[in-house]
Amino acid sequence: MAFSVLIVDDSPVMRGFIRRVMTLSGFEVGECFEAADGEDALAQLQEHQVDVILTDINMPKMNGEELLRRLETHERFRSVPTLVVSTDATRQRILRMLSLGAQGYMTKPFSPEALRGELERILGERHVSRT
Amino acid sequence: MSQELEQAVAPELESIDGVAAEVMETMFFTEAVVAGCSHGWLSEALTARVGFDGTHCGEVFLTISPEAAQSIAAGFLGLDTLELAEPQLEQVILELANIFCGAAMSHLWPESSLMLDAPKLVDAELPVEGFWHRCFALPEGMMAVSIGLRGPMAPAEGN
Repeated sequence: MAFSVLIVDDSPVMRGFIRRVMTLSGFEVGECFEAADGEDALAQLQEHQVDVILTDINMPKMNGEELLRRLETHERFRSVPTLVVSTDATRQRILRMLSLGAQGYMTKPFSPEALRGELERILGERHVSRT
Repeated sequence: MSQELEQAVAPELESIDGVAAEVMETMFFTEAVVAGCSHGWLSEALTARVGFDGTHCGEVFLTISPEAAQSIAAGFLGLDTLELAEPQLEQVILELANIFCGAAMSHLWPESSLMLDAPKLVDAELPVEGFWHRCFALPEGMMAVSIGLRGPMAPAEGN
């Protein structure tokens, strides 16, 4: 069974890279949707059901912090696990994003194996039961 | 540079070396080895700048030779170099600068609170004087980085 994924990043090459390394790592990606910022992500979530969201922090229009806040207030979206993928590895930032509801935090650079490990961790039992 | 000053800056340069190697290996599937600074290749190179602000303020410049840029962009995107469009190449170099800057800041000042500017391609010559500066050999070319701080924590001239 494969997982549907939403990748939120203002860099199209980074979205493509994340999509590629998920597949390279052996993580089973089903449908993969992309959004360039938080606003776009919320619009995509109205249209598509996803198993996990991977989001950057610094983005135009609506950044990753605001996206997490919006997700938390939404009855349907708040149950979707969110993994933050960012260059910012400062302790303060990581704690802030986790306190806003992120289930995981990956700092760039990351290896395909590390990304898969983190996805498996946050998907938890759902991943085990599907594999 | 005096021996005393060289010893004083060594930890920062060591951090920069480690970050460059880790970033290039982990996300760009290539190697970066510290190399001597012969800057003849810089005139043809692509340079990106990332400013940062917060507990530390300054800027990071990352410069890469055309051959190396093509190779790492193709590797990052999983394309052949012939399939690579110029905007894609530039976006990958901007992403490389962004990742390098974020990782370098986290290694150099782990307790800091910083905001990074969006990376931009610049025509400016790579600054060296008053910056922590390193050149790296990649399999297909060269890469150089310079990190400068504004204020009392700035590196001394000639590092």
